[in-house]
Amino acid sequence: MPVLEEVLDVFVDSLISHAALVVYLLVIMDERGWGRLSRLPVLLFSPLVASWISIVSYKAFSGAPILCYCLDSSVILLMCTLWVKWAWCIGFWRAFAATCMAGVFQVSVSCLSRTLFMTVLLDRASQFMVVMVIYWAAVLGSAALLYRLRFGGWFRLLLEDGFSQRRTALFFFAMEATMEVFIILQKGIQPAYLIPYCLLMMIVVALIAGLVIYLAQRSDAARKIEAQQDVIAQQQLYEQDLEAIRQEVQAFRHDYKNLLAGLSQAADEGELGQLRASLSALDAGFDRRIGQKIQVSAQTGNLLIPQVRSLLLFKLAAMGKKGIDCRLEVLYPVESVCMDVWDLVRCLGILLDNAAEGALETQTPWVEIVLLAQGERLSLRVSNPYEGIIDPDKIWETGFSTKGEGRGLGLSSYQHILTRYSNTVSSTGWAGGVFVQELAIGERP
Amino acid sequence: MIAVYLCDDEDAVRHQMKTALEWKIFVEDYDMKVVCAAATAQELLDAVEDNRRSVYFLDVDLKDGEWDGFTLGQELRRRDPHGTLIYITSYGDLAWKTFQYHLEAFDYIVKEEDQTGVSAARCLEAVHARLLDERRDPAEVFSLRSGDGVRHVPLDDILFFETVSKTHHVFMHTADSRVDFVGSLSELETKLGGRFVRVHRAYLVAVDKIEAVDRKRNIVRVGGRECLLSRAGRAKLKKRSGGGL
Repeated sequence: MPVLEEVLDVFVDSLISHAALVVYLLVIMDERGWGRLSRLPVLLFSPLVASWISIVSYKAFSGAPILCYCLDSSVILLMCTLWVKWAWCIGFWRAFAATCMAGVFQVSVSCLSRTLFMTVLLDRASQFMVVMVIYWAAVLGSAALLYRLRFGGWFRLLLEDGFSQRRTALFFFAMEATMEVFIILQKGIQPAYLIPYCLLMMIVVALIAGLVIYLAQRSDAARKIEAQQDVIAQQQLYEQDLEAIRQEVQAFRHDYKNLLAGLSQAADEGELGQLRASLSALDAGFDRRIGQKIQVSAQTGNLLIPQVRSLLLFKLAAMGKKGIDCRLEVLYPVESVCMDVWDLVRCLGILLDNAAEGALETQTPWVEIVLLAQGERLSLRVSNPYEGIIDPDKIWETGFSTKGEGRGLGLSSYQHILTRYSNTVSSTGWAGGVFVQELAIGERP
Repeated sequence: MIAVYLCDDEDAVRHQMKTALEWKIFVEDYDMKVVCAAATAQELLDAVEDNRRSVYFLDVDLKDGEWDGFTLGQELRRRDPHGTLIYITSYGDLAWKTFQYHLEAFDYIVKEEDQTGVSAARCLEAVHARLLDERRDPAEVFSLRSGDGVRHVPLDDILFFETVSKTHHVFMHTADSRVDFVGSLSELETKLGGRFVRVHRAYLVAVDKIEAVDRKRNIVRVGGRECLLSRAGRAKLKKRSGGGL
């Protein structure tokens, strides 16, 4: 039967660690208000369960303290991750990464407190007081510093790229685990080296924080370049349109003298019906030839997800250059989608490349893209004409393409991306010489 | 009798179309009637009766609170899945393909001063011809929810169903398409009954589409495609063919 005092000791220790963890979490999640703290009481489960596990496991496997420590730490990590996931309503991997990051900071300060307990030798009560004061000064001081450095913002930026979210989270987990190993090894440090050891720990943590900010800045810069490319692609598309419109107008000028001659003759003869018919033919001709170009420009305005917009503009411009007649319809504004944006961009890119490749083999190449957003749902349809025969058993195989070896990695990776999303359905059709790919992305499951 | 509905907020257009449609129906002696010429979406929806396979002429640029041409079309599709939708537009640049794919809209008419009625009448003729066609062969269809819409596929076109690596998803294969939808083979097996046989845990195949059974490779050929065949599946097929296979 564990002594009550012992239980209380373990619990208080765990509670203090959790409090420090929460302080760091608030900074890492870039929290601006105190509203989130109303969800804090639920987190009390974590120290309760953790201290219980710690006491029971130390009793059960007293020979393997490291095993007990690992078990205890993993449970705490898991519970805190779940709490973060719930409190901030975010995905598991983001919560996991944030918890690991907070864990790194927390471990380093608890290393400090342990060192202090071993070096500041006073009677128990005042020792506890002194250590606590220094401990909290360190926690709050470092948290304030991180806050000033806008660490939370950088951290979020690093995880925004959902494509590599899991990888990033595992990277943070590895750092956290390393820190835990360091703190376990502290037991073997000779007293004389304790303070240098502790300082080293601080430096490592500072380096980690610096690394995170550096990486985030790098990816931010990359993103800015991408945004610039978007602007360039859009300008290219726009210039192409202008050029086409200019050519059309020139052709029109050629015709209009003849048309005017016809009109004035009809007017002379008082043939109102014929006049009207010629005029509406003129109007329809304009609509058909120039109106279509203008239509594409208007529709891209409804694409409000920058990455998707950028990709579409880029691909449209590229297809236009190759002489493919493109039609794009975006009836309603596309603002958000329940799928990782980069995954969507990859899917869309594959479908468009595939469509362009297929269309180019035909006499009159065209590609048609229809995007329809309704609330959280988005449906996408890409179609193109094709030449030849499609073998449905083969098109989804890796490396298959109607154009022979080395191409067509697309559709199989498209398939592969979609298997991760249970809220998507895709269909493929190839009736009547037109290849159609449809993708519907539903609400979050 | 087939009901014809009309919804456009421009009085002149509405009047012109109503007259032209009524005249067309009278002259050609169609079994149709213009039941309602509404100025607002709500007025139209109040008048519509469900599941009557009616014909609707709708303004694309309708602005009526929550309704626009597209959402009104969706609501009508929900109430009357086999109705015919025709859109009226002021410009030639509407997102027509979106209407075509997502609402199965039949056609659209461009508003032109005194030609709108003529176009409407011509369109009605085409609708009438198609409705006659449909009445001739009421094919048995399989309906599935794929994405945000319901698809109707003639049962006779389906080759087989296949399980997908995504849980609760199934692929439907026809000669010229592959469609992903949420469902399970066991459910489909009980729902579709005798026409389909579960030849393998992952395959539900249309019996009359089976071209060959390769017992060496444990494969069934269906419409030029290959499906896996399990021992239990083979027994089922054998039972089907009375031991002939």
